[in-house]
Amino acid sequence: MSNIHLINTRKSNSGEIDSILRNLMSTQGVTAAAIVDSDGFVTHIQRDSEINTDAIGASVQVVFGAAARSAQHVGHHSTNMVICENTEGYILSTPIEAGFILAVVTQRDALLGRVRFELKETIPVLKKLFNNFLSN
Amino acid sequence: MHWFESQLAELNQLAEDYLQSQQLPGANIVNASETIRNKRKQFMEAVQNLVDKVGKIKGISACAAYHDGLILAQSQNMPAIDAFGATVQDSVRAAQQGAAMLGLGDIEQIVIVGATNKVAMLNVGPLVLCISSPKQINLAAALSQAV
Repeated sequence: MSNIHLINTRKSNSGEIDSILRNLMSTQGVTAAAIVDSDGFVTHIQRDSEINTDAIGASVQVVFGAAARSAQHVGHHSTNMVICENTEGYILSTPIEAGFILAVVTQRDALLGRVRFELKETIPVLKKLFNNFLSN
Repeated sequence: MHWFESQLAELNQLAEDYLQSQQLPGANIVNASETIRNKRKQFMEAVQNLVDKVGKIKGISACAAYHDGLILAQSQNMPAIDAFGATVQDSVRAAQQGAAMLGLGDIEQIVIVGATNKVAMLNVGPLVLCISSPKQINLAAALSQAV
């Protein structure tokens, strides 16, 4: 009985993570939302067009790692968010737990404050879900 | 209570409900996560609705909402959104320092009146609502009527 409960818990955690990503996708201008693990592999993704998930995963980890090292060099301690402003949009990445990163890709017309607010408010819940997920 | 005050009260209540949802005991994090997400969605939709409505009021030039100085919701006719954001950040910081020295309590609103236009900034939950209009407009009167 307890084994069945364990599997259900993992499933519902994963389902809720997908729901969170879908919710992020409903924010104006957001075109993709993904969870990237510490090796740069995409574990969960929601997107409205075809994008190279391997490239996204690897580049998000590289960029976040570089930003985190830069922050440490100037004494800023831990990095809470990295925002890449590009010609055609933004890429925002935020650490969750155990090296996992939440990454969001937007178009240029996205309201940066709105996307950033959603990310900041989403992270505490994602941290709890991941702690729950990883401990089961 | 006039129209805008009732809208603000409603918005503050939704912000409070959202904050409360974050403090619910998290025995079932999956259910709690969904509740928090839905409460935040309600709050954000209400913010966008109010911004849209205020932006359409006769005499109001534009309306927008900011979080940490970054644009979060805007009416259709919003010019210079980044300049507004910077002004919001600077004004709130200066006002908070002044309020602490003078014992004013938490900042509720700030109004900057220029020679031609003016801007009102109102704290709503974690956000700042920004309303701009020509200097001669009586904001209280303009915002008193339902849209």
